[in-house]
Amino acid sequence: MSASGGFLLVLAIMLPAGGVLVAVATGGRIARLAALALLPCGLVLAVAIAALIRTGGVPLEYRVGGWAPPLGVALRADGLSAVMLLITAIVIAGIALFARDYFPADAPDETERRAPFVFWTLLMGLWGALNAVWLGADLFNLYVALELLTFGAVPLVSLDGKPDTLRAALRYLLFALIGSVLYLLGVGLIYGAAGTLDIAQLAAMPHTAPVFAIAAALMTAGLLAKTALFPLHLWLPPAHAGAPAAASALLSALVVKGSFILAVRLWFDALPGAMGPASAQLLGWLGAAAVVFGGAMALRQQRLKLLVAYSTVGQIGYLFFLFPLAFGAAASDPAAWRDLAWTGGIMQVVAHAAAKAAMFMAAGLIGEALGHDRIDGFGGLARALPVTVFAFGLAGMSLMGLPPSGGFVAKAMLLTASVAEAQWWWAVAILAGGLLAAGYLFRVLGPAMAAAAPGAPPVAEIPLRRQAVVLGLAVFALLLGLVPLRPSPLLDIGRATPPLVLAR
Amino acid sequence: MSGALLLAAIGVPLALLAGCASEAVRARAALWLPLAPLPGLAAALLAPDASVALPPALLGIRLSLDPSAAMLLGAASLLWALAGVYAAATLGARPDPGRFAPWWLLTLAGSLGVFMAADLVGFYLLFSAVSLAAYGLIVDDGTARARQVGLLYVVLAVLGEGFLLLAFVMLAQGAPHGSLVIRDVVAALPGSPWRTPALTLLILGFGVKLGMVPFHIWMPLTYRTAPAAAAAALSGAAVKAGVIGLLRFLPLGAALPDWGTALAAAGFFSAFWGVGAGLRQRDPRTVLAYSSISQMGVIAAVMGLALAAGDPGAGIAAALYGAHHTLVKGGLFLAVGLAATRRETRVGLFVLVPAAVIALGMAGLPLTGGALAKLAVKPVMDDGVAGLLGSLSSAGTAMLMLHFLARLVALPADAVRAMPRSARLPASLAWLGASALAVLVPWWLYLGVAGGSAAEALSAKALWSSLWPVLLGAALWLGLGRAGLMPPAREGDVVLRAFRRAALYGVLAGARLERADAALRRFAVALVALLAVALALAALSLGA
Repeated sequence: MSASGGFLLVLAIMLPAGGVLVAVATGGRIARLAALALLPCGLVLAVAIAALIRTGGVPLEYRVGGWAPPLGVALRADGLSAVMLLITAIVIAGIALFARDYFPADAPDETERRAPFVFWTLLMGLWGALNAVWLGADLFNLYVALELLTFGAVPLVSLDGKPDTLRAALRYLLFALIGSVLYLLGVGLIYGAAGTLDIAQLAAMPHTAPVFAIAAALMTAGLLAKTALFPLHLWLPPAHAGAPAAASALLSALVVKGSFILAVRLWFDALPGAMGPASAQLLGWLGAAAVVFGGAMALRQQRLKLLVAYSTVGQIGYLFFLFPLAFGAAASDPAAWRDLAWTGGIMQVVAHAAAKAAMFMAAGLIGEALGHDRIDGFGGLARALPVTVFAFGLAGMSLMGLPPSGGFVAKAMLLTASVAEAQWWWAVAILAGGLLAAGYLFRVLGPAMAAAAPGAPPVAEIPLRRQAVVLGLAVFALLLGLVPLRPSPLLDIGRATPPLVLAR
Repeated sequence: MSGALLLAAIGVPLALLAGCASEAVRARAALWLPLAPLPGLAAALLAPDASVALPPALLGIRLSLDPSAAMLLGAASLLWALAGVYAAATLGARPDPGRFAPWWLLTLAGSLGVFMAADLVGFYLLFSAVSLAAYGLIVDDGTARARQVGLLYVVLAVLGEGFLLLAFVMLAQGAPHGSLVIRDVVAALPGSPWRTPALTLLILGFGVKLGMVPFHIWMPLTYRTAPAAAAAALSGAAVKAGVIGLLRFLPLGAALPDWGTALAAAGFFSAFWGVGAGLRQRDPRTVLAYSSISQMGVIAAVMGLALAAGDPGAGIAAALYGAHHTLVKGGLFLAVGLAATRRETRVGLFVLVPAAVIALGMAGLPLTGGALAKLAVKPVMDDGVAGLLGSLSSAGTAMLMLHFLARLVALPADAVRAMPRSARLPASLAWLGASALAVLVPWWLYLGVAGGSAAEALSAKALWSSLWPVLLGAALWLGLGRAGLMPPAREGDVVLRAFRRAALYGVLAGARLERADAALRRFAVALVALLAVALALAALSLGA
């Protein structure tokens, strides 16, 4: 718990927040410059924090103003935080490099300058909010971070100001706010019962009283609404498909993961034992339904961005296998399998972040080049944009769970855990999801590889530089496949192997 | 040195694949295609018992060869080289020769690599490569029909891989000390608590690859859609990934009579199904595809009988059978390709005569490679019922091959494709080479590697036992044909038609799915769902 290490945690939130302030104060062009300048700083910071945690083997902690909880506000970084900080920095860097040309600094008139300004400012704002979610050490701080995340994400949906996207943004906002209310209700209940919201202090006290279970149930439901877990996915397809590609990438790759990780923190760190295996099974079943339903809906889409958005609905489902598998179903399940499920679940977060960001950006370039994103009009695409189609295919490999890719590692770990813990039904869902993913991805790749239809309008040129960014993220998703298939020691830092709760 | 050869067998095609990123290399793809498989051939000939382990950064993949894997690798390399000559010759006429080569090279790397993979991760990786890269070869002609076929192929391939992945996970569970080496995990399988599900999944997974009924529907569709050279490589070499899978993953050392009998029964069922359905096909490529279904069924039956008897030596025999099939089936697809490019009205004798020899060789025509392949598996099949079924399936193959030759001669005019004059010589040489090797290689393998003796192979008893099924098949084919008792032509088979109907229902269900989605995404409905989730979570946690 070195002081210098703790200071880095503050920087991880304050640097992007400072960028927002600078952007708002100076406006326009500076916002873009500030965001681009922040990229290397954020990357170095994330690497430094991860390295400190890795070498020290203990979490970093920082108490703002030196006040101890419950009076003071604390930041805490464990292995999970380190991994999330890293993937956030990497994906944001990719999105920002991509958006450099998407939201240029110079636009002819004032109104057109608004979208770039909003995008670059909110990119930094969301980065700060995400880091605050990864680092928050008490449930109220996390609530604030969560709200910042929502308020930063909603305007990105309607960046183009069209009625359709405004409607999508409004639905998103309304539903997310209802989720917030549920979360806040839970926080209130917990504070009333425990007198603290600090995660470490909550974990240390007994919480078998029913009030904790009720609070956790309310908070979890609220977080599921913000994560768009089936059947609460109403807002996701129009919002993620309607936003500009760079914003879609940010929303699909990272923003939905914020509320998911918060749910994980709640279940495994703050209130281990408040929720029983039965409710973990329920989350798993909702996840399985999401995998099948989202995949099947993606298969039905005629437009690429909607297909990719429904693919997110499906891929989010995989995340929730973490709950039943890391919880364990029987006392005989050895901790090693629950640890593997934990690593596999987080690996799915990371792999999907990289692959989905690449995929949305590829979809954006395809839309730009063709002037539409109707899949049946994709003839000749592979010849016109080979690098983009290749990147799309590589990202798709990870979503399908083909080796070598991060998606494969995640699915192999979750499969192994479900077999070893004799919860084979998750294995069936995982394999069915892979099948559906193969279907919807090759439904895109097939037409893209075909020859152009006679008389098809010419495909606009896209600079190789922009395609290369997309390829970079897709290759990163593939390289994640080199992660060894065993519980990650980094993810284990600061995490007591969650107690198996059998009876209340 | 010998380890380096194994690495080169995969590394050279992959390096060429990487080179395809450069326009200059891609433009000369025609030059590379025939050469890319040669390191694999060298490995099979010079390093048949080598092994090598990659560093942990490359997933710690292990490669190793044994005599049976080397047989399959050698035959596959030869076929890939010959098909590469054919492909290279025909590529010149295409506007975009560079589009074909990357898929070819990746499929090739996986196809050769899977024979050498000695650990679970490497095997899965290379098996995926050969299965999925084939997609690019199947959809090569770019028509909407090809894309449909390609999609069906991919979904079935991914289904098979899903079975295998789950099986591998179970194998790894049962292995001592967390070893991922295939030999270790398979040795632990007979005593593993996961034995039943793991064996089921292994047979299902490799069954998809081998085209075992009812997972065979992709074969007749893809082999007809892919270009001739690709169909040759896929039907001859790539499909053997399933054969090496059975060889590597069935615990032949332990006698498992129930499992063995079940696999043998499934294999024979496929063997006869392929004959029965194949006789009704009009397109010679579809006939060949059904013949593949039948032949892979025979191999599965051989492996099943070996598993039932606990006979680890049967691996060599099955590999020899597979090596022969590699060259014959690949060669015959080249023959169809050549026959379809004729300018005169009749199929040339240089196509027809060798085709007749090797096609009937598959049924066991004496002195051909096929007769030796049958002789090699004879000890495994010598049991009364199995031996009879084996001979009857040979008779069926003879019928099917005569039907194939008839369809080849009667190739419809609309199947004729132009071939540039410059391509005719190399393409013809590739075909003649394949047909000669299909006869010679089994002789060499039988005498040199499998330890058979020429005296036994040429004994009157052996000659007769392989001749009578051919004669029976020929008599049946002629007799039934004369009497008008041949089943009428009908494309596909009952499974394929059932699948199409099911797909139609799937489309209808999809429309219902969209309505369900629209309903769920209404704000009021989602709100109720949200409250229901909260209540359910609370109730379950409180143990209510």
